[in-house]
Amino acid sequence: MSVLHRAWAIVWKDLLIEARTKQSFNAMVFFAALVLFIFSFALGPDTELLQEVAGGLLWVGIAFTGLLSLSRTYQNEETSGGLEGLRAYPGDSRAIYLGKLLGNIVLLLLVEAVLIPAAGILFQANLWPHALGLAAVSILGTIGFSLVGTFYSALTVNLRAREVMLPLLLFPALVPVLLGAVNATTLILEGDLMGEAVVWLRVLGAFDIIFFVICIWIFPIALEE
Amino acid sequence: MCLVGPNGAGKTTLLKLVATLLRPSGGDAHVMGHSLLNDPDEIRKRTGLLTVRGFLYDDLSAAENLHFTMRMAGLKPRREVIARVLERIGLAEVADNRMRTFSTGMRKRLALGQLLVRPIEIALMDEPYSGLDSQGMRLVDEVVADFKAAGTTVLLASHQDGEAVREAEKTGILRRGHLEILPESEPLSRHLSVGGPAGAPEVD
Repeated sequence: MSVLHRAWAIVWKDLLIEARTKQSFNAMVFFAALVLFIFSFALGPDTELLQEVAGGLLWVGIAFTGLLSLSRTYQNEETSGGLEGLRAYPGDSRAIYLGKLLGNIVLLLLVEAVLIPAAGILFQANLWPHALGLAAVSILGTIGFSLVGTFYSALTVNLRAREVMLPLLLFPALVPVLLGAVNATTLILEGDLMGEAVVWLRVLGAFDIIFFVICIWIFPIALEE
Repeated sequence: MCLVGPNGAGKTTLLKLVATLLRPSGGDAHVMGHSLLNDPDEIRKRTGLLTVRGFLYDDLSAAENLHFTMRMAGLKPRREVIARVLERIGLAEVADNRMRTFSTGMRKRLALGQLLVRPIEIALMDEPYSGLDSQGMRLVDEVVADFKAAGTTVLLASHQDGEAVREAEKTGILRRGHLEILPESEPLSRHLSVGGPAGAPEVD
């Protein structure tokens, strides 16, 4: 059976558990809404200022919310003996990474489907004309975030201080993703008259490809060690 | 083969080494001709490990847990195979109940089912009797006897007495990481804790 079939089995299992418990989804939506509310209250009723910083605020919300999801990536494995349970099966261990990665991407995109329209209402920005561009940034940014995050959460899963170690390791590696996503979102929301958003989308795409290759390559070594 | 030894002797560690879940800190060993270091995947294809907790998910049903095991083992999940195994381990009536609602003994039975749902050549069983009532302990003995009849090697680590422990062809004692074969002059009971042997009368 191929790596993809086993990865799909993990996605099926994780999403089925999430659909039943809604443990991560509810916590993520609540947390993201809270972050956006706090920022909108802190910045006051200045609509122009809110629209100017909307891209940055949105990605701060996504990054914090995503961190919540990543720290739970391997949590439902704890009842089944941690990662050992998945490692005991034959086959390429990259399937574990791929399965967890796809699960994280789906979950984070679902949360963003709620979060982005909510941000549009809070920051009084009409997002419909920019829907396609925002969807492209959201997908590329989420893939980049999840690629690095899923890898680091596997590395820190057995650490006692994993809640501290995960953001410490993750955020420096995420700088290119957040930079690209914030700039592209801001440009798209401003109308992108010079067509500069495409450059940042390419940066995000390149980051995704590079980190996909690196993470897939070194995950089995990291898992065994 | 049965493994006995005091707590901390390394019984679980040895089983996990054979299952390739741990890497030896030095040296290598071969399982059915395959190196632990260089060929772990070939070993994983042939071995099944029963741990104290089992590799199970609380929010999946008994049938879904076995379904997932089959998919991860590279098999096409078949309802009739899962139903047969659930019947064998006495969980057919609760096949669709989430494992969260199961008692310790039922979880142990389901973990045993994970060994039965896919073809293996070596069954590694860590404390298979723990948490089981007398019927459950008898089930373990029957499963071990079936494995033996089918030519499947069983490596079993236990503190508790049971038919499978007494009937083992070889008994090894682990003492501070060293494995010795139990001399015939040394009684096995010295190494087992009081836990009620399999086949003990049921309490009504």
